[in-house]
Amino acid sequence: MQILSILAFVLIVITAMTILVFRDWRIVSGALVLQYLAAFVLVAQSWPIGVAVVKLIVGWMATAAISLTYFRKEDIPFVTETSSSFIFRGLMGLLIILVVFTAAPALKDNVFPGLNLLVLQGGLMLIGISLMQLGTTSDPFLTIVGLLSTLSGFEVIYAGLELSTLVTGLLAIVNLGLALVGVYFIVPRDERKGLESGEEDDQ
Amino acid sequence: MTLNLSTPTLWVLLPLAAALIALAALNRRTFAILLTSITAFALSILARFFPESLVIAFGPLTVSFSESLGFLGREISLRYEILPFISMIYFVTSLWTLTSGIGKTPQTFPATSLAITALVTAALGVAPFLYAALLIETAVLVSIPMLSPLGQPPRPGVLRYLTLQTLAVPFILLAGWLLSGVEALPPESPLILQSALILGIGIALWLSIFPFHSWMPMVDEHSNPMVTSFLQFMIPAVVILFSLNFLNRYTFLRESPGLYQILQICGVIMIALGGGWTAFQKNLKRAFGFSCLTETGFSLLAIGLANEGGLIWLMILLPARALSYWLWGFILSLVEQHAGSADLEHLEGFARRYPILAIGLLLAQLSVAGMPLLAEFPTKITLLTTALRSGPALGAWGLIGTLGLFLFTLRLLMHMVRPETEGEPNPWRVNESFLEYIPVLAMVVILILTGLFPNAFLTNITQTLTAFSQLNPFN
Repeated sequence: MQILSILAFVLIVITAMTILVFRDWRIVSGALVLQYLAAFVLVAQSWPIGVAVVKLIVGWMATAAISLTYFRKEDIPFVTETSSSFIFRGLMGLLIILVVFTAAPALKDNVFPGLNLLVLQGGLMLIGISLMQLGTTSDPFLTIVGLLSTLSGFEVIYAGLELSTLVTGLLAIVNLGLALVGVYFIVPRDERKGLESGEEDDQ
Repeated sequence: MTLNLSTPTLWVLLPLAAALIALAALNRRTFAILLTSITAFALSILARFFPESLVIAFGPLTVSFSESLGFLGREISLRYEILPFISMIYFVTSLWTLTSGIGKTPQTFPATSLAITALVTAALGVAPFLYAALLIETAVLVSIPMLSPLGQPPRPGVLRYLTLQTLAVPFILLAGWLLSGVEALPPESPLILQSALILGIGIALWLSIFPFHSWMPMVDEHSNPMVTSFLQFMIPAVVILFSLNFLNRYTFLRESPGLYQILQICGVIMIALGGGWTAFQKNLKRAFGFSCLTETGFSLLAIGLANEGGLIWLMILLPARALSYWLWGFILSLVEQHAGSADLEHLEGFARRYPILAIGLLLAQLSVAGMPLLAEFPTKITLLTTALRSGPALGAWGLIGTLGLFLFTLRLLMHMVRPETEGEPNPWRVNESFLEYIPVLAMVVILILTGLFPNAFLTNITQTLTAFSQLNPFN
């Protein structure tokens, strides 16, 4: 089980860094899918598999919803970035990793004594790197992905602290709601026209 | 015959169902407006006159209400004591929805605003109360379609609003978990300070306290004023009431003198910053956004002055603020429609063409500013004088902040009465339609009456404080 947790933690670091550094929606979506899988493994350390799997399913549903909507966009911007922006975001991500590794043991001893260190580090890693993501983008798709990752990190930590069906249910609603808002933001223009013409037909 | 129902069924599930029906009937706008406003108004009246026994008899039919409704293993409990507040929020919702047909309010507004009110009502009653964070977040998510038109990329302000409100959730839930563990610790434990800090950040994100306020003017500038005025009343009002739960529940927070001082200072900083920014705005909608910061400051100041009766003034301030915000939002949407812009430079001569709207706009702003004879004056003057007694600097900065909106109103007046073209005759005439000026005149009269007789109109809501047994100033 410990090896599985370590693998999940490594996967979280890799996927979070991938989402931070790359802007291509296909790479980001793939990384988000893997990130939810890793988060599920860490949540399953504290919760029964039956409850933990809710997070995996909700996460994948949210990813599918926003990714497929983005896929249908006709005017997907071609991402051209200078290498310096990749390096900058990569370095910022490394800084976050360093801060998490430094601060997590003290946080565990002083604030979360009952929490597994790997679970805490995994959650903090997700929160820290996705906050950095939120601070470096104004793209709706990447903002929603950043918020989903932040919540995912929080859920990894919170799962170790409390098990409540209501919180699980409401967090699932919030995650799906965020994905729906993401879909709403990136829904193609031609579908808007279609909707409007449909409304006119009704009238 | 006896029928058993629960109060959450009445004030949460029923309006949610009505909102869904209204949403399904989106293209039948009049039906949606009537359904939502009648539902909200009926629920408001019911909450206002609900019997303490929770039993209502209709001839042979007796309807018995319980205060709790089981939900996913927890409870939503709407107690009798909280009903005055629920009555107020449903009343103002009916006001907003009823008038949403005038101006260019989004079609989804009536349904969405009723759903938001139902969700925040559920947030007031969910137990443990910390889970309210998730319901308020759901209300925020529901509000997004009203702020960002379908098919257009969202503006940065909307993304920032969504991000900051969502980030509040982890902070609040984590703070709740931490606070439940530190109750038994000695006061000098560093964990207490850490828990309070996390809670403070969560609430600051929710209430858009400096430096988390930047989305407010950005969202206000590009969204419909009816929508923004509703949201900027409803969500902060519920968050403020939700925050009182923390003071009520945790003794170490309630008995910490430092906390009240911090709240007073934060409140005055918000009043001063909000007022300062408002004074120099060039756009009416941005000025509204900054004035909302000032209002949040007054709410914080009132909580900070809890030991001097501030909570009573906080409760009295809320309905007065709701009426003023409604009038301000309603007129702003009409101003934008008639003038084509909410920029001051486009409002030259506006008062000569639309004198009733101009007077209403000025009075709405002056009411929020705390002008004598208007609705918010009794609370604002009391809070400022109490702050002055608490610390001269607090009172002085609070007063300076309040003057910001007065100054902006003077600038607006000068722009609106100035003729469009200098030297050419620009006669005064009434161009407003009946449906435009009747609500404005009615609300102006209500604001004046509320300012003149605050005890008659506003004091009922103070009974809400009896729900907070440890904070209740009537004990």
